[in-house]
Amino acid sequence: MIRFTNASVVYPGGLKALSGVDLTIEDGEFVVIVGLSGAGKSTLLRSVNGLVPVTGSVTVNGAEVVGASKSEIRAIRTDIGMIFQTFNLVGRATVMANVLMGRLSMVPRWRSMLGLWPAEDRELALQALERVGIVEKAYVRASDLSGGQQQRVGIARALAQDPKIILADEPVASLDPVTSHMVMRDLQRINRELGITTIINLHFLDLARAYGKRLIGLRDGQVVYDGDIADVNDDDFREIYGRAITPDDLLEGAAT
Amino acid sequence: MTSLAQRPLAPTQSRQFTRPILAAIGVAAVASVAFSIPLLWGALIGLALFAGLALADISRATIDAIVLASVGAAAAWWFDSVLDGRSAAIELLISLRAGLGWLVVGATVGAILVLRRPTVNPVAVPVTAVSAYLATALMSASGASVGVLADLEARQLREGILQVLGAPFHLVIGLSVVAVALAIVFGYLAQSAAVPGVVGSALFTLVAYNLVGFSVAEIVAETSRVGDLAREFWPPQWTWPKTIGSEPTNVIIEPMIETLQIAVIGATVGCLLAIPLAFFASRPTTPTEPTYVAARWILSVLRTIPDLFWAALFASAVGFGALAGALAMIMFSLVIMAKLFSETIDSIDAGPLEAARTSGARYTQVIQYGAFPQVLPTYVAYALYIFELNIRASVVIGVVGAGGIGRLLDEQRTFFQWDRVMAIVIVIFAAVIVIELFSIWVRRRLL
Amino acid sequence: MNRPIAPTAPRVIRWVVTTAIVVPFVWAALGLDVSLDRLVEAPGAIWSRVASMFPPDWGDISEILGKVLESVNVAWVGTIIGATLSLPLGYLAATNISPRWVTGPVRGLLSAIRAFPELVLAIMFIPAFGLGPFAATLAIGLHSIGTLGKLTSEVLEGTDAGPVEAIASAGGTKLQQLRFGVSPQAMPNIIAYWLYRFEINIRASAVLGVIGAGGVGDLLIGRLRFREWEKAGAVLIITVAVVLIIDFASSAIRRRIITGHSGTGRVSKALSLLVRPRAT
Repeated sequence: MIRFTNASVVYPGGLKALSGVDLTIEDGEFVVIVGLSGAGKSTLLRSVNGLVPVTGSVTVNGAEVVGASKSEIRAIRTDIGMIFQTFNLVGRATVMANVLMGRLSMVPRWRSMLGLWPAEDRELALQALERVGIVEKAYVRASDLSGGQQQRVGIARALAQDPKIILADEPVASLDPVTSHMVMRDLQRINRELGITTIINLHFLDLARAYGKRLIGLRDGQVVYDGDIADVNDDDFREIYGRAITPDDLLEGAAT
Repeated sequence: MTSLAQRPLAPTQSRQFTRPILAAIGVAAVASVAFSIPLLWGALIGLALFAGLALADISRATIDAIVLASVGAAAAWWFDSVLDGRSAAIELLISLRAGLGWLVVGATVGAILVLRRPTVNPVAVPVTAVSAYLATALMSASGASVGVLADLEARQLREGILQVLGAPFHLVIGLSVVAVALAIVFGYLAQSAAVPGVVGSALFTLVAYNLVGFSVAEIVAETSRVGDLAREFWPPQWTWPKTIGSEPTNVIIEPMIETLQIAVIGATVGCLLAIPLAFFASRPTTPTEPTYVAARWILSVLRTIPDLFWAALFASAVGFGALAGALAMIMFSLVIMAKLFSETIDSIDAGPLEAARTSGARYTQVIQYGAFPQVLPTYVAYALYIFELNIRASVVIGVVGAGGIGRLLDEQRTFFQWDRVMAIVIVIFAAVIVIELFSIWVRRRLL
Repeated sequence: MNRPIAPTAPRVIRWVVTTAIVVPFVWAALGLDVSLDRLVEAPGAIWSRVASMFPPDWGDISEILGKVLESVNVAWVGTIIGATLSLPLGYLAATNISPRWVTGPVRGLLSAIRAFPELVLAIMFIPAFGLGPFAATLAIGLHSIGTLGKLTSEVLEGTDAGPVEAIASAGGTKLQQLRFGVSPQAMPNIIAYWLYRFEINIRASAVLGVIGAGGVGDLLIGRLRFREWEKAGAVLIITVAVVLIIDFASSAIRRRIITGHSGTGRVSKALSLLVRPRAT
């Protein structure tokens, strides 16, 4: 369970990105966060694993993120897999090496130093690759893959952590519509099959409608909508966006 | 008829200031040669400065002329009285003290500029002052260091007997002040650093040229007796007795191998030690801000110490021999590698680092898995390059007792055995070329 | 889905590379006449040598400043010689400017010059010019021709061919193509390399002092030889300080020349403050 209590984020430059957020996300939920760019979606996601200077209280399965020491933060992060808009793969390294990065916090320091990965970690990495269906590319350079394949490697890296929570920050924003749907389906399936709590930032409303269960709308760093995605109507979106919906807000609209 | 848009004026060209500068320098030159009485030549230099300002349309006020002339006279008087009565060689510190008057002259010129042209930044005053001061201090010091001012009598200075660059001493000083101060003024007007930059460089070249005793004539003269010189070096003597009375043997190869070994050790250890320092000294990978600043400073400071200084220092600490040489080469490689490598790391993609961090990895793991693969090929290329540099550098460290072929080279040149020196140089040349070809070959296959 | 078999090539490469590094290293380490106990004692010895230099003896600061100035002068004149003579050679060595039968020999000449360290060149100049700053200047100037010539040709080869084509198609001569098509692109980088070479040459000229060719190296070696550690400390500190100042200024100017605007570093900001017009 993730619980935000009066959580705020002010960046060193003075930019207030999140103000007084109260939220509870139960285990196994599939949550989609929408909002304009700059509304605080990324910040909300990153306050879960302590990547941003957050005040108030954020607890992850009972562990407090705010004011946690370095090693406490590391322990929290071990259970949280993250997926990025730009994939954040090491292009020169093999897919396998990238997926194994998810295991770094679990292996002894000397083993990672010498690159002597235990067999069970390799097995976990291969299983993760199988789950996203690109195990045959395991020994290919990451930079040689297409965008969609790279993002699946990103998902596999998160899965290799054997996480309880997955945070996905605009996972399809750099992908074409067809691949976007594939990646979203992968995430949905993983959530259902493994029961991993999944929180996704999305820009496109139709993708949010098609795959989300619970929808959280952010505007100017505050939660302005929180409810079942089936109940949401165009007025709610107008409230979240502060304007009418345009084709740019839809994946299909943007594609045409 | 359509109305034409108004044509813009050409931006201020530095060329338009050439005439005033040359005119002012001319006035100062004539004046200084004619009169060597301090108050007089100082006043004339002040007037020359005024002429420059007037020709550039900055000031035509009589009061400015009077102020400049009096400040100039005072500066010259001070200059003369500090140097007065010294029969020993003038030292740098005395030069610095004697030039203080010109600081005031420079400040006056800057002040007139700022007063008459309100758009000019008031910083111009100290800039002009310090530049004029440095110019005179350098000029007089350059005279001092080559000993022109040795056994100087104040009378000689006054009578203009003393020569720097073939001209009377005070003329050189006056011209420097005029050239530098006016160049700065026009630099401000043209809003370009090029004018003062070029004038300053030219003056410094004169100083330096004079100081190092450079002489084209000597080069020409030596070239004409190149045959005699060649006979000293040729034919190279490949073998000679190691100790007096023993059979002549080839004593070059063994120290050359020692040099290679020193280079290998230096490059390997230095490049390894450079890795952590480089990651600390790069923005994306530094653990904390203080670490970053400290690493940068350490690198900047270590970079200023030349290879042979390291060798001399280590030789004095751990004794003469290969150990001192290896240590020196380690420092040499470490500094260059850390600098080059940290610049490469600065430009890496921070995404994988974030990905590693969010999975809960420790600092060393983030670096090893997120950053290192990105920069590995560049690292290898740099390591080979540094190995090449090491060969060249390790050849010479023996001169200060740090082992290798340099020791032999120094020994033979001390005894003027130029034919043996030639043999050693040929061996060095061959080794360097072979290593370079090898390194190029490897790099081509790697990348 | 079938799992692929892990390829063996990377592992083989890893072994080859490891061997290629370890074997020469072991050869070198065993070949050097360094006993283990001397190695163990080394850190302590170095530390005590550094400690013995503090506090430095500033007694002859005037002489030290004079010698540092001499080193800077030697480096400056050497750089100017190198810059002036390397410029035409750089054009001759650039494959996009000169024909192959010219670039080949010129490149050979440049790399032959580079193969000799400044110190070796200076030693070879002794019979002709004697010991002193003049020989040092010539050695540094000659070596700079080699390095700057190579860098100049690389900058020239990196220029965009577009403007040259434009001038050629407008009927420009070969010389006009160089003057208006190539040089404007290349000069900022070339000048930046001159300044960089000046920074390196200061170190080189300091070093030449150790064979008596003038400059601060002379002083340092003398102090160390006569075990005047505190005085050696003063020489070292002043050298570091002066070179550091020149390095900072030079790199700020280089950045300004290359990018056309001042950088964001502290030194660059200070320098740009000196020339900015007053705010209105």
